[in-house]
Amino acid sequence: MNLSGVLVVAKPEWREQVVESLNALEGVEVHQVDADTGRIVVVQEAADIHAEIDGLKRIKALPHVIMAEMVYHYIGEDDKVYEGLPAELQDDREGSDACVVPPYLNS
Amino acid sequence: MGLTRREFLKTSVAGATAATVGMSMSETAAAAVKASEAGWQWDKSVCRFCGTGCGIMVATKDDRIVATKGDPAAPVNKGLNCVKGYFNGKINYGQDRLTQPLLRMTDGKFDKKGKFTPISWEQALDIMEEKMRWALKEKGPTGISIFGSGQYTIHEGYAAAKLMKAGFRSNNIDPNARHCMASAVAAFMRTFGIDEPPGNYDDIEHTDTAILWGANMAEMHPILWSRITDRRLTHKPMKVVNLTVYGNMSSDIADLEIIFSPSGDLAIQNYIAREIVKRDVVDWDFVRKHTIFATGVTDIGYGFRPVNAEKFHTAAEMEIVKNEKAHVIDKYEAIAQRRTEGEVVEQKNAANPVRHWHIRFDDFKTALEPYTLDFVAEVAKGDPDESIEDFKAKLQQLADLYCDRNRKIVSYWTMGFNQHQRGTWVNEQCYMNHLLMGRMSKPGDGAFSLTGQPSACGTAREVGTFAHRLPADMVVDIKKHRDMAEKIWKLPENTINPRVGSHYLKIMRDLEDGQILFNWVQVNNPWQNTSNLNHWIKAAREMNNFIVCSDAYPSVSAKVADLVLPAAMINEKWGAYGNAERRTQVWRQQVKPPGQARGDLWMILELSKRFKLKDVWGEQPVPGLKAEGFPDGKLPSVLDAAVKMGYNPEMTLYEVLFATPENKKVKWPDRIAKGRGNHIAELLGDGWFPEKALFEEYRQFGVGKAHDLAPFDVYHDDKVRGLKWPVVRRGNRWVETGWRFNEQYDPYVTKGAGFEFYGDFAKAIPTGNLDGVTDPKPVPLPGKAKIFFWPYVSPVEKPDANYDMWLCTGRVLEHWHSGTMTRRVPELHRAVPAAVCWIHPKDAEAKGLKRNDLVWVESRRGKIKVRLETGGRNKMPRGMVYVPWFDEGVLINKVTLDATCPISKETDFKKCSVKVYKA
Repeated sequence: MNLSGVLVVAKPEWREQVVESLNALEGVEVHQVDADTGRIVVVQEAADIHAEIDGLKRIKALPHVIMAEMVYHYIGEDDKVYEGLPAELQDDREGSDACVVPPYLNS
Repeated sequence: MGLTRREFLKTSVAGATAATVGMSMSETAAAAVKASEAGWQWDKSVCRFCGTGCGIMVATKDDRIVATKGDPAAPVNKGLNCVKGYFNGKINYGQDRLTQPLLRMTDGKFDKKGKFTPISWEQALDIMEEKMRWALKEKGPTGISIFGSGQYTIHEGYAAAKLMKAGFRSNNIDPNARHCMASAVAAFMRTFGIDEPPGNYDDIEHTDTAILWGANMAEMHPILWSRITDRRLTHKPMKVVNLTVYGNMSSDIADLEIIFSPSGDLAIQNYIAREIVKRDVVDWDFVRKHTIFATGVTDIGYGFRPVNAEKFHTAAEMEIVKNEKAHVIDKYEAIAQRRTEGEVVEQKNAANPVRHWHIRFDDFKTALEPYTLDFVAEVAKGDPDESIEDFKAKLQQLADLYCDRNRKIVSYWTMGFNQHQRGTWVNEQCYMNHLLMGRMSKPGDGAFSLTGQPSACGTAREVGTFAHRLPADMVVDIKKHRDMAEKIWKLPENTINPRVGSHYLKIMRDLEDGQILFNWVQVNNPWQNTSNLNHWIKAAREMNNFIVCSDAYPSVSAKVADLVLPAAMINEKWGAYGNAERRTQVWRQQVKPPGQARGDLWMILELSKRFKLKDVWGEQPVPGLKAEGFPDGKLPSVLDAAVKMGYNPEMTLYEVLFATPENKKVKWPDRIAKGRGNHIAELLGDGWFPEKALFEEYRQFGVGKAHDLAPFDVYHDDKVRGLKWPVVRRGNRWVETGWRFNEQYDPYVTKGAGFEFYGDFAKAIPTGNLDGVTDPKPVPLPGKAKIFFWPYVSPVEKPDANYDMWLCTGRVLEHWHSGTMTRRVPELHRAVPAAVCWIHPKDAEAKGLKRNDLVWVESRRGKIKVRLETGGRNKMPRGMVYVPWFDEGVLINKVTLDATCPISKETDFKKCSVKVYKA
């Protein structure tokens, strides 16, 4: 999974419509909108770098979009979903007040 | 309900994107924020993590931190936060927070092999006192030690240093900042005569070029990086160059990525200098007026154990450690150092590696001659899959940038330079290329050393919590400096020990060979952060010594300690930090510490009540002490002189050093607190405000010495977001200094000088040539900076048939340092739960390994088990692996080499050789 942060600049009068069409694209979420400047921060999820670039082209092609550029780019490195805290920290999750000596110290 | 990892990543991607383009918060977020903030009390604070020094707003409700956000009024980060910064409020609330003192006991008594058992503070201080008295009796002041920190608040560092140096007369206090920026310090002192960067972060918005030398800013300094990317997007001529030993996230927006070999930076810098000279673009007006050329001794060893190494190292280790005595010149060193291949060079100056002298420009030019494009490309190419032609073209482009007189340039570096077997030299080489072109101390033009810890500058460096330092850049082995400290501290003459104490790694070695019997760990994690760990774990657990660890969480160091003291965290105490651009920033206590946890300052003050002048100011043995005015091997008794000054031998160190009549005039409560508490003042209960009193006392060291700080209350003004020292009063205003050494900005520069490098350290040196000193008479060079020549030196341990890979270590974005705090934040833990070993896919394939395999990474010193990663954010060249050090489950420092820069004593964590095989 790759995530990219894209800056989209829309004509201010069409801002709302652009936000709507962005949200309608698969894998695209609008996270922040600056009403004064028409700047929109979008996060796009894509399987790989090719899909990311195709996705960017798709955004650029939307009506009333002046500019769309990849600003931040996160390469997913593992598809495992990790939960919780490190194992050695989990032993005493309940009743932290009662737990004066973390088990890790005496292990 | 926490976010899922994916949602979390998306939020941080959005945040980083907004940060980059200068948007702070969405309308919806702002509205939601407003609704949820009813009843919250906001106050200014500072980020707990790296050296950037971002302003954070902290919200409290019912004595609990309920929210934090980037401070829009903070000039450093302008409202933005990186992913770690978002979680400043969460780090205090880990489930396994330490809340009571714990002592290793069996049957109700201390036992080094016993189990940790809760005890009271009274009992904890009793056993500390008992063990310190034992260590002092056995070994004198050198038998005790403190591992201090670049995360100390200014008050904590000041109190710890004063207790050790003025009270116990021991210089064995050294911070983890030794591992982090000691090389930068040494180079600042030697080049400019005074510590810390001349410029500031605003250079970013003035420059045309950012050159990163071994600094992955995108991951390690994300907020400064967002300012660089913003400049890159909005300023057409802006170019970004990333010089690194492996491809990383900072390469994403770089115009030029140069992958160089470990230590290849030494050669590249000389190639640039050679080009500057050859293309005749030297700024001669600047160079003649403000600089001199210099070089020094080069047979200085590698910072290994200097004596009895055979006794403590295995035969395998000795294969490398033997270079401390004599080194065989390799084919590159032969050319670079004008020697012959195979020549055996005795490391005669290992004990005195700092000697340097003035040379002529012609000598400097001759020394650069071997560093041709062909030679440097051969030495420094780091990616075996890149063609030599491509690499040469890149080096030429880099030289073109440096040689372009119309271009402003800032060079940035962190651990790539500092953690280097020639760390001081490579820092000095960077100044060489800036000074040659007059690119120093001007907006947009400068060489800027970034720091990794929030108060590496403000506390470790400025307060001087090092084995050799006193506040305001003074040192213990200069009589004039001791005199000044003794005057401000109201101590009898010759109280301060003139013998430099043990640096960080040496404290470990002293524990190993039984020279140090007592150690106190404050605000850091030595048994995770020090190289060649197996030695030190054994020393802590098997030698007859006593180790105290103050921490908020059960760290590896707590686990190896004998006594664990629960520490208060940021926002649970009053504090002040100083960031990398000389900005001093403060915060108030926002909430009370949990349970029995206490601020480190309280612990220091309480311990000081346990010792009387008669215990420590009598005659003391200091083996090896040799200084003018002192008997050999001894500190004289200063008790009689103390009585003449009005002290009484029965007075405690608390009364003499801390709760002095002057300091007790500074009363708690104080209206500057605006109703907030101070658990330390309240527990002491004797009516003074220790943080404010100690800060005002500490200020006296810097005033009038170009280290001026403003009064305590000025920093606490609601409108102030830190001030960059020197802070000088003009009329009724306190004015900070943006660019030092530049007449336009710096009040310390003589009128009409234009520029003046006025620091006075090491400013009288002999004269010589490339082979040595020709005239030993020291010649003063007031106001001038030094342009040093230093040769290329190969790494002391290089891959061979058995240990065939380079190992580089460092951080990842989500975690900070040893992970003691960040691993308690589930979002951060989930994002990067465990350290992995990054490797090139072809290397993995050749070794019959695949991604996610559990492998051993093994060196001559130790081995650890870790999962293999062939993709992701770091792109390793073939032949090198990268393992971050945040994970206490993957103690990579068991594998790393304890070689240091011989001048700065900072460890090189960036290069050693390992083998990688299936576990």
